Amino acid sequence: MNIPTRTNKSLRTGLGLAVGLSLLLWGGLPLTGLAQEDEDIPEGFKAEDRPAPPSAEQIEAGKRVYFTKCVWCHGVKGSGDGPAADRLWPRPRNFNQGTFKIRHTVSGELPLLEEDLLQTVTHGLPGSAMPSWEGILTEEQRRDVLSFVTTQLVEDRDWQDEEFETFTVLQLDQLTPIEPTAESIKRGSELVVSLKCIECHGLEGRGDGNAFNLKDDWGFSIQPADWHKCWNFRGTRQDAYNVKNIFRTFSTGINGTPMPSFADNTTIEQRWDIANYVGSLCERTMDIDIAGGEVTDEIAQTLAQGEPFPIDPLTDKPKSSFVVPSIPVRELGESLELPVDEYDERWAQVPRRWIGMGGQITHKPRNFVNRIDDLWVRSVYNDTHIAFLFQWNDRTKSVQEDEVDWDPTEVNLADYGVEETLPGGSQFADDPGHPGSIAWNQNKYAVYNDGVAFEFPIKWQELPAPRKPRYFWGDESFPMEITKWTADGTLAVYEGTGWDQDFTELDDFAEEVEVKKAQWKNGRWTVLVHRPLKGDYEEVASLEPGQYIPMVFFAWDGHNGDVGRKMAVSAFYYLVLKPAMPVEAFIYPILMGVGIVFVEGWIVIRRANRRKGKIFT
Amino acid sequence: MTWLKLVEGYMPGQMIGELALSILLFALLNWSLKRAGMGIPKFWAGIGVWVFIWLYITYRIYPPIPFSVRAIYGTVTMCGIFMWVSGSEADWQEFKKPIFNVMDGITPRHRFLRTVALILIPLGIGGFAYQSYLPSFDEPIELRTVHPAPPATTKLHGKTFVLQIAENPFRVGSEGKYDQEYTNERSVVQAMGRLVKDVNDPNYNPWDPNAEGYMKYVREGGEVFFQNCHFCHGDNLNGRGLWAYAFNPIPANFTDAGTIAQLQETFVFWRVAKGGPGLPGEAFPWASVMPPWEQHLTTDEIWKVVMFEYWHTGYYPRTWD
Repeated sequence: MNIPTRTNKSLRTGLGLAVGLSLLLWGGLPLTGLAQEDEDIPEGFKAEDRPAPPSAEQIEAGKRVYFTKCVWCHGVKGSGDGPAADRLWPRPRNFNQGTFKIRHTVSGELPLLEEDLLQTVTHGLPGSAMPSWEGILTEEQRRDVLSFVTTQLVEDRDWQDEEFETFTVLQLDQLTPIEPTAESIKRGSELVVSLKCIECHGLEGRGDGNAFNLKDDWGFSIQPADWHKCWNFRGTRQDAYNVKNIFRTFSTGINGTPMPSFADNTTIEQRWDIANYVGSLCERTMDIDIAGGEVTDEIAQTLAQGEPFPIDPLTDKPKSSFVVPSIPVRELGESLELPVDEYDERWAQVPRRWIGMGGQITHKPRNFVNRIDDLWVRSVYNDTHIAFLFQWNDRTKSVQEDEVDWDPTEVNLADYGVEETLPGGSQFADDPGHPGSIAWNQNKYAVYNDGVAFEFPIKWQELPAPRKPRYFWGDESFPMEITKWTADGTLAVYEGTGWDQDFTELDDFAEEVEVKKAQWKNGRWTVLVHRPLKGDYEEVASLEPGQYIPMVFFAWDGHNGDVGRKMAVSAFYYLVLKPAMPVEAFIYPILMGVGIVFVEGWIVIRRANRRKGKIFT
Repeated sequence: MTWLKLVEGYMPGQMIGELALSILLFALLNWSLKRAGMGIPKFWAGIGVWVFIWLYITYRIYPPIPFSVRAIYGTVTMCGIFMWVSGSEADWQEFKKPIFNVMDGITPRHRFLRTVALILIPLGIGGFAYQSYLPSFDEPIELRTVHPAPPATTKLHGKTFVLQIAENPFRVGSEGKYDQEYTNERSVVQAMGRLVKDVNDPNYNPWDPNAEGYMKYVREGGEVFFQNCHFCHGDNLNGRGLWAYAFNPIPANFTDAGTIAQLQETFVFWRVAKGGPGLPGEAFPWASVMPPWEQHLTTDEIWKVVMFEYWHTGYYPRTWD
């Protein structure tokens, strides 16, 4: 278990019989003691042997895997310019420079083959298009393809280069994590300020600080990680809430990006504190307000107690169901008024539903680079109104400045002036100085409005199950009522009859719908909408308790050039207004219980009589 | 709890295998205990087996099976256990004995158990009835036809295709004929993780600069796939794309033997061209986010991408028989 380091090798060989004992002692010593002996090696790291070179057969076998599975994104020469590359965000890795993000080795070094690259191929990189290849490629095939990539496609560096390449490895398995207590979380929250993490990751860690000015080694725009979505962390190894992965990233940095290693200017304890804090921010069952990062003892306590979300192992996203419950306010307290902001304490009792969002690529203009991958919804209702609280993370607040020359009701506008990025521009992709290259074009969109919308079939009561209107703004037989809020402060209600049919404004009803709160703060939009339960039956949807009412969600990120049909969409959900308990719920169980008691009495008496010989037939 | 995760596609075989093995081990254990004179009472053995199988189908299988289906499995299991415990009159008497002992209250312990049961049963059934009246937020089960009957003809970019006789113009042999054998011969190796047959031969590797004809079209189809389709259908064509989590119905898994492997090439062509909106009612056209690709791709690109899907999965289209 212990590999001798250069420094105390001679010492130990001279000690003869005591070797066994010293090994035992040494294994128990904290690694801090070791690191001080070699000043070049940061705390918690150890120099290791270079990986063995692969055989020619392995490389050849790996090439077959590469040209079947990998070439489509990573390209023929491994330059990250396969056919898929230009429509992906994050982009596929360019192998040529030997720059890899997720590693156990110190900043700037090549990754290990087994502990790093093989794990990446096995578990994929959540939050990107790189899937888990476990179960698709055998372990042998995964090793083969790494042999090919590391020897043939990495051009600038060589794992076998004794002159330049060293392997200084984080001894993660031998470090004992610090428990994520409130104290540790609070210390972490102070460290991310003093170490300036928040300058990029934002005050509350949603990746909203300096969000649109960062570039990677190749000139492509990249964004800081959103700490609230740990399931999207590239290095999670499909174990989203495990803080060890955050500790590793923080200790080794992310090569090729502005994320540095903090191994030299933090102690191991400090790094665990930060990992615990960052890990505690990942969304849990309850929404926790962290007050702009000013974490008090009370907040730290709440963070420490949060229950992680169950993660679906097939998608690496939170598990969810396609039902949005709405809770009657009378179950939440005395007041029958609906909450007017997100701070109302009653929200804590309302389950929040995670809504997965994908890019709209069914009709033009298509949204291949989708930046809003989820939103959270909570809902309550009273006798007259229903409230929807939408919260979603968006690194930038986008409000349209320039006038557009179309009316909000105009739908069928071909591409809304949004040019679809043509694939195949990778030739100069990574040259930010080359006009027309992907890097040059990035973030040169016109800025439109952020926005959120939801829709119901207007006459959902008349839908013959399981028929629904088309998710994309309804169809002629069953129009949709679409309520859309945009960041310029507009709230409108439209009737939609199809993806290519202009909207009809429902002005009378729109006046009754109220936006009680709409705020962008620390990388998150909060939009609270109050809507009457009922309206004109012919014009708008009338919401009734206890019924399954089809509902679809849409979201726009203005800095991504989202406008009109270029947006994020959800699947069909069902809104269910939790009904009052029917009287039958109390009567029938009691009747059944009493009936069973009678039957029991009859059986027991009958058996007793039979034993006594008194048999009735 | 990754050990719970069963690999998709292995599921039926793995499940039946594991259950059979467990039953076999149990039978062996039961038999040897009996030989040693410490046999498990039939009553408890029966309950134990049923509980084991229920826990297995509830927790071991992923994605989870709906309760209604588990209820069917549970009932079938119970029937099987009753057949086992009533194999002979002696067995049946042995099985019934603990139940009748409690009902008759033959000892103070049995009388105590009887009292407990007499109180718990009406409470339990009443509670269950109350539970069933509580508002439920379960998703309603809506059954959808995944492969509906295709139309006789489909019109695309001004041209009418008769699905019975239409042919993929790019799947032609060296003699210019529609040739299944020819293209099949040049398919990838058939195994889990299908791979290029010979990476240095332009007849087998679509990315060889000298690849021509069939192999070149496969690459062009693949380029279309990886610019448009992989977002949902996935890098490995297994329906686990970048956005698959967001949509319902989930994207089709082409590596499954139940999708393109059992369909004619013209059916796939029609589905790609017309997308979600082109589906008949029983296949839920309103919920499908599958684009009508005729709006984005040329006819040739659609034929090529269909061919790529067969090449990459190692299947070949069903022919008219």
